[in-house]
Amino acid sequence: MGRVLMKGTEAIAEAAIQAGCKHFFGYPITPQNEIPEYMSKRLFEVGGVYLQAESEVAASNMILGGGSTGEPVMTSSSSPGVSLMAEAISYMAGQETPVVIVNVMRAGPGLGGILPAQGDYSQATGGMAHGDFKLIVLAPSTVQESVDMMQKAFNLAQKYRNPVVMICDGVIGQIMEAVEIPEGNPENLSNPVDWACGYMKERGKRTILHSLILDPEELESHNKHLEAKWKRIKEKETDCETYKTEDAEVVISAFGTVARIARSVVDKLRAEGFKVGLIRPLLVSPFPEKEFEGLISTCKHILDVEMNWGQMKKDVESAVKYRIPVSFFGHTGGICPTVSEIEREVRKIFTELG
Amino acid sequence: MAKGRVEILEEYCKSCSLCIEACPKNVLAISETINPKGYRPVTDVNSEDCIGCGMCAMRCPEAAIKVFKEK
Repeated sequence: MGRVLMKGTEAIAEAAIQAGCKHFFGYPITPQNEIPEYMSKRLFEVGGVYLQAESEVAASNMILGGGSTGEPVMTSSSSPGVSLMAEAISYMAGQETPVVIVNVMRAGPGLGGILPAQGDYSQATGGMAHGDFKLIVLAPSTVQESVDMMQKAFNLAQKYRNPVVMICDGVIGQIMEAVEIPEGNPENLSNPVDWACGYMKERGKRTILHSLILDPEELESHNKHLEAKWKRIKEKETDCETYKTEDAEVVISAFGTVARIARSVVDKLRAEGFKVGLIRPLLVSPFPEKEFEGLISTCKHILDVEMNWGQMKKDVESAVKYRIPVSFFGHTGGICPTVSEIEREVRKIFTELG
Repeated sequence: MAKGRVEILEEYCKSCSLCIEACPKNVLAISETINPKGYRPVTDVNSEDCIGCGMCAMRCPEAAIKVFKEK
């Protein structure tokens, strides 16, 4: 497709189609309206189904149904809409349905505002809904990365038969950047004949996917199976970027757009001789604990910067085993932290360290 | 008499402020109104200072600004 200038949301939608997405069910909400808009035009061309549901609750139940047939399906929404989808997400995790959910986060709580924020970190990494399960959560920080992650999202969903969520803040949804959307490379595709609804002919008996298991022993063994699967995911699928952390005394931890801003801070302060680095999880769930643990020997202080009130801080603290002090700086409500603000915080830490 | 005039297509604006940074004469600012998308669109507060250079329109990712040279 070559290098094109595209809005984040549209690039995500095109990348999803390249990644094999066949069906989309959703409901419009700012700042991700361009995803359903783009899908409504393009999915028809690739022979898929686009349907605007009557609400987010309906949309998530539609992907629950679509995903149960083994077809690659996705939905997208923004913070309040994702909350409405929560119930079905728990059902999908329970009956192991591979789906992809894109959450273009806006400022909360409640209806909040439509400007970018990262307030859904805890919601997404905590599983989003009732019951004992975890979601794979991707957090891109550029449009190109969100495009590349879309393929990964579909592959991971299929590989582990688990819902995958991509949380991007409103900036990534609305920013326009040059991107290259690669040809699809679907892999790890599970064979729907083995597990999905339908396929009576191939299998000779019908399958009912459900998450209602009334027998406690049976339910516990199902939960053990889900937990074992999560352990496998945790071992194999963590992804984390470290930038100039080898000798860094102060490390900034951030994800999404903030990580981009923090990178500029690192470059600026490195030029002045300050030993600063950046650590950025690409997958915030499972959390890259090993990479954070690696900081313990050199790093003296971690500054966690987010567009919320420090939701990732507790994960960072437990990942470094509480052996490095972690302080926090952030904005909420749709305000992005600026380079000079983060720079000031880092300088303050260096003054304290002496 | 201003040398130029800007016309903001408010419904396309996403309040990214790139035009405000691009303007050498500080003509533009975020307005108090809300457009159909829910964003506060830019508006020309110092319209008499506009020189019609077109920097704002060139920077606008949404093509939401038209610039006219005044004769």
